[in-house]
Order: sequence, then structure tokens, then C-alpha cells
Amino acid sequence: MLKYSIKRIILAFVTTFIILTLTFFLIKSLGPAKIASSKPAEIYSFYETQVEYGYVVKFETMHPELGDFLAKYEPPGTSKAIYYYERPIVDQYFEWLGNIVTKFDWGRSTHIEPEASAIRIIAERLPVSLKINIISVVISVPLGIGLGILAGLKKNTWVDHTISTSVMVFISIPSFVIIIFLLWGLAYNGNLPTKWPTADKSTGVKALGYIIPVLSLSFGSICGYTRFVRAELCEVMSSEYLLLARTKGLTKRQAIMRHALRNAFVPILPSILAEFIGVFSGSMILEKIYNINGIGDLYITSLSAGNAADRDLNVLMVDMAIFTIVGLLAGVILDLSYGFIDPRIRMGEKNS
Amino acid sequence: MKKKEDEFELLNNLPEEARDPEISKDDFKLVTKDTTIHEQKFQTKPTTFFKDCLRRFRKNKSSVVAAVILGLLLLLSIVIPAVSPYDVSAGAANTGFEYLEPKLFNAGTGFWDGTRKYKDYSVDISANPTAKTDEEKQKDWWPNETFVRSAISKKEFSDEKYTDYVSDFGKGGFLRHSILKSIKEEAEYAELRTQEITDVLDLSKETVLITAFDTYDFDKIEKLPDEKLQKFDSDYELAKVGLDLVAIDMDGDDEVKTYYPIIEPKVVHNIGSAVSSMSEETVNVGDALSESGETRTKFERYYFAVTIKNERDEQNKSSLIHSWTFDVVGNDALKAKLCDYVSGDKVNDGASFTDATASGRETLYLDQAKTALNYGYLVSSNAARQLFMSKGYFVSFVYDTYEAKLGTKWKERISVSDLDQWSTAKVTDKNPWGVKLMEYNISTKKNSSGKYVLDTNAFYCHILDERCPLAQELRPEDIYVDPYGISKSNPLGYEVDGYITMYKYYGYEEMPKFLLGTDKNGKDMLKYVFDGLRWSLLLGIISSAICFIFGLIWGAICGYFGGNVDLIMERFTDILSGIPWIVVMTLVVIHLGSTFFSFALALCLTGWIGTAATTRTQFYRFRGREYVLASRTLGASDARLIAKHILPNAMGTIITSAVLMIPGVIFSEATISYLGLGFRNLNSLGIILSNNQPELKQYPYLLIFPAVIIALLMISFNLFGNGLRDAVNPSLKGEDE
Repeated sequence: MLKYSIKRIILAFVTTFIILTLTFFLIKSLGPAKIASSKPAEIYSFYETQVEYGYVVKFETMHPELGDFLAKYEPPGTSKAIYYYERPIVDQYFEWLGNIVTKFDWGRSTHIEPEASAIRIIAERLPVSLKINIISVVISVPLGIGLGILAGLKKNTWVDHTISTSVMVFISIPSFVIIIFLLWGLAYNGNLPTKWPTADKSTGVKALGYIIPVLSLSFGSICGYTRFVRAELCEVMSSEYLLLARTKGLTKRQAIMRHALRNAFVPILPSILAEFIGVFSGSMILEKIYNINGIGDLYITSLSAGNAADRDLNVLMVDMAIFTIVGLLAGVILDLSYGFIDPRIRMGEKNS
Repeated sequence: MKKKEDEFELLNNLPEEARDPEISKDDFKLVTKDTTIHEQKFQTKPTTFFKDCLRRFRKNKSSVVAAVILGLLLLLSIVIPAVSPYDVSAGAANTGFEYLEPKLFNAGTGFWDGTRKYKDYSVDISANPTAKTDEEKQKDWWPNETFVRSAISKKEFSDEKYTDYVSDFGKGGFLRHSILKSIKEEAEYAELRTQEITDVLDLSKETVLITAFDTYDFDKIEKLPDEKLQKFDSDYELAKVGLDLVAIDMDGDDEVKTYYPIIEPKVVHNIGSAVSSMSEETVNVGDALSESGETRTKFERYYFAVTIKNERDEQNKSSLIHSWTFDVVGNDALKAKLCDYVSGDKVNDGASFTDATASGRETLYLDQAKTALNYGYLVSSNAARQLFMSKGYFVSFVYDTYEAKLGTKWKERISVSDLDQWSTAKVTDKNPWGVKLMEYNISTKKNSSGKYVLDTNAFYCHILDERCPLAQELRPEDIYVDPYGISKSNPLGYEVDGYITMYKYYGYEEMPKFLLGTDKNGKDMLKYVFDGLRWSLLLGIISSAICFIFGLIWGAICGYFGGNVDLIMERFTDILSGIPWIVVMTLVVIHLGSTFFSFALALCLTGWIGTAATTRTQFYRFRGREYVLASRTLGASDARLIAKHILPNAMGTIITSAVLMIPGVIFSEATISYLGLGFRNLNSLGIILSNNQPELKQYPYLLIFPAVIIALLMISFNLFGNGLRDAVNPSLKGEDE
């Protein structure tokens, strides 16, 4: 078990490393970071920082073999010009890797907050996404499980049919469609705020502001859990050991509480744990539509809606890294927790 | 079942000896002595795997319904874009057709009739200060009754709260203004509202303000150097006012209080564009701008925009920019006039904040302030102002959008080239417009200023045919001679004012009907949505097909050979599936551009992993079966085993997973469109939804229908996929439900 866990974690690390390396090269191949300003002083300070970070090299003469120079700066009072060239990407990569390992420095923002550390920008945006996600998980997990149990226990009755049908419908509807209808029904034709309340709003308005994001995130989640729990419970309910439990004299309630639910939850609990890891990534569409300054929205902002000149690639890189790491971590937790929750499952044992 | 029990019963009732009969060898007889039994034909009809699936599928009612809906959507997405004549291509802009409501029935039926309900629409009662009588005043701000299809209910409002709430078209009230030394960041701008109130101006005493602003010295106005001006749209320019303080004698006691100018970056706004931003379709509120129409070309207009932000703003109920407008003729004569110039797009506030025309003013304001700072032109501090206790009217009515946009209406300056086009003189026999344009002459006379004079008396325009856009015959008095344009070399230098039926003007023989309305570019939503659906489906089907083929091969190799081959290939898919799809799509799309090909590629890069996993599992399941072993012992090759023995068994499940991939692809594409990386020159459901997102508040129909279609598509695909899975693989029935 321990050996398997270590192996699994190491594998996740290696995967993360490979993916981030790939992402780095793909992003860097888009071209060097550029600054929007045209003022010599700002250009100078920007490229000096880039030099410091190892993305750019500077020369006092032209070096045509390095390709087109990025910028030319003539310090006032002197006749010498400084030419900035992009550093070879492989060199940049090792520099970048070194900065992350030694200083946990993921580079600086170029457009969103010029000169600010990318990791700080992420840290500023993360709490909002976290709050919304946690609230929605806290609401959707019990609700989803409750509905799933209800449907599973009342299998093939009208309760089950109603729940299953609505789950089928809601799980198919994309989240942005749900947001559209929620906004239309509750905000424009109701009293809820139509966008995320800003910091200066009263507490009441702020609290109301949570309703639409949380609802739109919960819908899919609730449906997913309901379907999952129902399927698992149905399977357990028709198992032989439950029949045995009933025949040896347990009441239906006892049989369900002691045997059915516990066994049904073996695959469900790991996915709940994985879901809690998932709160670290924001929902892009929701955050864009509802003007929430979270990390999903940051992703879009750093992409600048496809406008190449305004892209903030360092921030985008960190954001992508978060999505990747969160996904992989959730996978590891999911796999490992199976072994802890269910002693019957022996992880890593050779399949016979 | 019952029959069997009967047999048992029968058996039990038999006498003892009959139940246990003695059987001798002679009792048995071969049925067929000559022919072997396998030569006999089946008595029942033979069935194929496909037929069997179809039979099982047909039993699943919901899946059949879903399949029918899917088929219908597919059919419509092919037929409607082919049949419908409207232009919905990505760059289409059908002027004159913007924001028509969905229409099926005739206007006035109250449902699906192309009308729009305005509720509590505030109207300006101070718009036309020169109007004397109430009737005259009403004329300017009252909704144009020709297009109103209901009773107009009116209620007066007076906002007495000392809050930020400002009516759009209020009269009187007070201007509260607070002072902030400079605007550095947006954050500080947000704080403006919490600033201390320093002074209160009474807006009902308009003259006070006018005198106040007379103290501006407009001679000191300087324009920015041209290279800086280029940074702005042609409509907006920055100018610098050399004053930073305004002295106002508020109550006539000679005690002059010092006020800061309303805002420092001076925006020179083109009058023409200011007027045109009040679209005809919104209720025509009078604005003081039109008064100066005659000499407008000579005017430069200085806007001092003050944005009044308020609490209700967050709910997008109201937002307003009050501007003080100064007309400066030439550069010497000063004519300062207070004008509550309000954006005509009252109903367009709020949700459409991102819409540049409707309410970009707020951003404009901030940008100006920032730009001014950048260039060091912030000559004074800024003041935040709030209007309160103003009075006005709320009116509610139903407005016929088709009549307002495409019906008969007064059009100033019908161009002569248009008239000529309609005239019989230039029309072919095939398509006569039926207008007779009488002879007109340019007199050889010149007037005192040396211009040629048009002999307008000879001008008549008769309508000969119904198709003519002119709604009334034109007479000499309708002619408008451009004081500059007419000359012998330019005989068309005059224009005509008259009533025009707009839909005829745009080339339609009858009023067009848009079942689902039109969007901001005048695109027919019906065709737009189904055109988008077609591309979405095409993308879904193509990428699913590619993923299916690749995943099948990969999974087959993995699953069939197992061992180290499997191990290595599995590690590869592990890593690939670790990359979030959003990251893959973003990277591919920004590298290769937003084309159909790059989308398909991006979706296929990781999309095949699912199919590969399914195939692998299926192959693992079947490769150890006895019949495979038997075949192998008989010498079948790997290829034969895969193609003839394993694949046919696994096919059903794999195909189902491929079908269920299509809705996933459509969803991914829609998500990417929301991120702003969608198709550039194609339509798709995601593009339509993300383009129309800002209009949800005012024009919900633009979103509701595409949203319903995409939801219907997803539900149908899932139901259909589930039904298909149950049909091809009955052992999985009930799973995932």
C-alpha cells in the first residue's frame, strides 16, 4: 500500500513536470512578452526586469544571428544603445525552473498588473473562487447524496422517476445555459444582483450575490452525485449479502444503514474528496458572466480574449499550472483514498 | 410461464404407470433419416445484430423521441440555412434590422407579435427648455404613438432619497458634488461615492449654472498635438482647458465659492455622432442638440461628462451621464448652455455595459481620466456628482419594433441617387420601381455668393408603383438644397425630405417577419441559430469520427497485446489525460488560430483517450474468451482475430461512447467561445451565446432560444446515447441512470 502510494505520487509529480514543461515550451513559442507602453523609461525598466528574470538578453551591439531584436533603448546623455534580444527558450526554461524550485517565483505579470509577481496575482484572486466553490460543494454534496439515496431506496416509484428524469435533464444542460436562465429569472426579473457585488456593497447585497454562482455550480454537481449514489445504492440493494442481512433478521432500516450505505459509499467518498481538491480551480464561464474576479476569470483576462498583444503569458502559465495540478492531485487522492476507505481493495497488487 | 405450470399440472394428474413409462429402444425414431438436420432452413426469420439492436432500441420510448428530435434538429440545421434569404455570416451587419422582436402573429395580438414592452421607462421633461406649452413639451419626450400598441400609462416620480439614484430624465433636483483630488486608479473612482459632500447646487435654477460656466475662458482652449489625438477614435479628441477652477456666485450675495470644473479631460465630441447614438427605435427624447442643427457643421462641442454612479447601478437599473454641453461657434463666440444630455439608450443600460455604444461612456470617462494623467493634462481635481430629488415621468407601453424600424417614417435627406434609382428613367423593365421623377433643371443663375441655384419648382415625384419606398409624393417644398454641395459639376447636391416605407427601401416587397427576431447586427436569429447548430454538429461529428478511429486503433493495440506495449502506451495516455482539456484547447487555438481545423485538431488531441480506454477494456474482456482461443489454435492471425472475432463484439460499446462524445465536443466548443477564442468567421452555438450574453437583460429572446436549442441538443444526445448503449449491449442496461 505504502509502496503503491509513493509510486502513485511520484508518477503524479513526473506527469505534472512533463505537462508543465510542455506548456512552458508551447507558451514560450508564442513569442516573448511585450509591454504595452511606448515610453522609453517604462520599456527600459520592463526589459531590465526581463533580463533579470532571464527571459531576455541585452547587448550593446546588434546581434543579427539571434533574430530580430525586441527593443532598443538609448539611455539619455549617452550615445550607446542597448539592444534586447529574446533568450533561447531552453535557457529560459532552466532559468524558470530554477526560479520555481529555489524561490517559488513563477515570473512577473506583464499586463494585468505589470511588474507584480504572478503568484501574488493568483493569491489575490484565489479566495473568491475558493469561497464560491466551497459553498457550492458544501451544499451540493449532502443534497446530491440525499436525493440519490431517496431515489435509490424508492427505486421504480414516482419519486425515483421524478428524480432520475430531472437528473437526466439537468446533467445534460450545459452550465452556461443554467447561468443564463438563472440570471434571467432571478436577477433581471427578480431581486438578486446581476453581477458579483463589489467590495463596497453592504453585507446583505454581498450575501445575495452568492446565490446565482452557487446555484449554477451546484446544479451539475448535485445531479452528478444523485446519479452516482443512486446507481451504487441500487447495485448494493440487489446484492446477496443484503438479502442475507435481511433474512438473518435485521430490519430494513438496520440493513440499509449498516450494510447498504456503507458499501455504496466506497466509491462515492473518494470522489467527494477529489471534489474538495477541485475547489481550487475556478469556473471560467461563471466568473466571466457574473464578473467575479476569481482565477477562472483571470485565465480569460490573461488570455485577453485572443488578442495577442495583451496576453499575460506568465500569469496564464501559472493559471494553467493550477488547473493541471488540481486535476492530477484530485486523481491521486481519488485513487489512494479507495485503499484507505475499503480494506478489501489492495492497491498496486498484481492483477491475477 | 402459465403454460408450463399447466404442463406440470397435467403431468401430476397422469396415472401412476403413465408417469413412469417403460421405454424401449423402439420407441425412439430418427426424425430425419436421409438428410442431416443442419441442412434444414430456419423456420423463424433470421435476424442480424443490427436488426436486433434496432428492435431493442425501439422499445426505449424516450430514446426514440430523442432520436427523432435529433433528426429534426439535424434536418432543420441543413434546410433552414439553405432556404432562408437573410445574411447571417460572421461579419454581417444588416443595417435597419437591429433588435426586431420575434414575430409570428400580427402586431397587437399580444403574444409573439414583434412588440416590446417598456415598463417604467423614464422620460425627460426637461429636454426641451424652449417648449412653452405642455403639449409642446410632451411632443419631444413622449413615445411616438404611431408605433405604440397599447395604452400609455404615465406616473410621476420624484426621487427624494438622498442617494445616488438618479432618474435618467429627471427635472430639477440637486446636484451633489464631492471632491477628490485626482483620479489615479479605478479603485479610487469607486471611492468617490463615499466622499464627503461639500456643496450642493440647485439644478432647478439653471441660470445659475450658466452664469457659472460663463467664467470659462475658452480662448485658452488648446488641442492636443495631432500625434496624440490619433490615439482616440475619430469622434473623441482630447483638448486642454487652461482653467482649473470655476467661480460661482451661488445665491447672489457676492460670496463666490470655488468649484472645480466638472471634469478635466476635455472631450471634444462630434455632434453628428452624439445625435446618431440616439437611435430612432428608442423613444424619441428631445435633446437640445437638435436645436443647433442648421449650423452644426461649424460647431465644436465640448463635453464635460460627469458620471453619476449609484447603488442601483449594480443591479443595472439605471445609470446616467449628465453632461454639460458647450457650443462653441468658431472659437470666439461663447454659447454656454446647460444640457442634460443623456444617452438615449435608457433601456439599454445595465446589462449591456460592455456594449460600446450604449454605455461605454463610463469606461470612456475613466479612460480619459487615466489618459489625461498619463499625458499630464490633469489640470484640476475631479468632482463626483450625484443628482437627487429630481422629478420625472415613468411611462409604460408596448412598442411595435417592426413598424418603428421598418414601417413608414419621416426620413430627412433622401439622397438623390436613391431617387434616381427608383425613377423610371433608370429602372429596367424587369423591375420597375415605378417612380416618376419629373424633370429638374439646374438654373444657370448664381446667387449672391456665387453658388448655383436649383430650380426647385420643377421638382415633383410621383408614385407609380406600390413597391416604391416613398410613402408620399414629393413636392418642391420637400427639397433640401445643400448650401455647399450644389454646382454644375455636382447636380446631385441636393436632397429631399419625405416619408419612406423602410422595408421597401431595403428591398422587401412586404414587411419581413423574423420568427425569432434579430440581433444587434440585424441577423435573423432563426437562421443564425440553425447555421450555428450546423457548424457545431459538423465539428462534433468530424472530431468524434477522428477520435473514434484513432482511439479504436490505439485501444485495440493496447488491449489486444497487453504486457509492456500496454504499459508504455498507458503511461502515455496517463500523461496526456493529465492536461486539462481547456489548456490543450487554449494552446492549440492560440497557436493555430480560431479556425474550424484548429478546433477539430484541439478536440482530437485529447478526445481519443476516452475511446481508447473503452476499446482497451473491451479488448481485455474478449481476448481471453474461448472462441478467440479456438480461432487462434486454428491458426488465425492477430489481424483476423481483432477484425473478425473481437471487434464485432466490442463495437457496440465503442460506437456508443463515440456518439456520446459529440455533445461533449459541442460543449467544449461553446466554452472556448465564451473565453473569446471562438471561431472567427464561422457561426456556432457557443459564438451566438457568448456574443449575445450582454443583451440578456434587454433582449432575453436573443439568448433564450439558442440556450433552449443547445439544452435540447444535449439532452437528446444523452438520451439517444443511453438508448443506443442499452440496445447494443443489453447487459449494461440500467447502468448510469
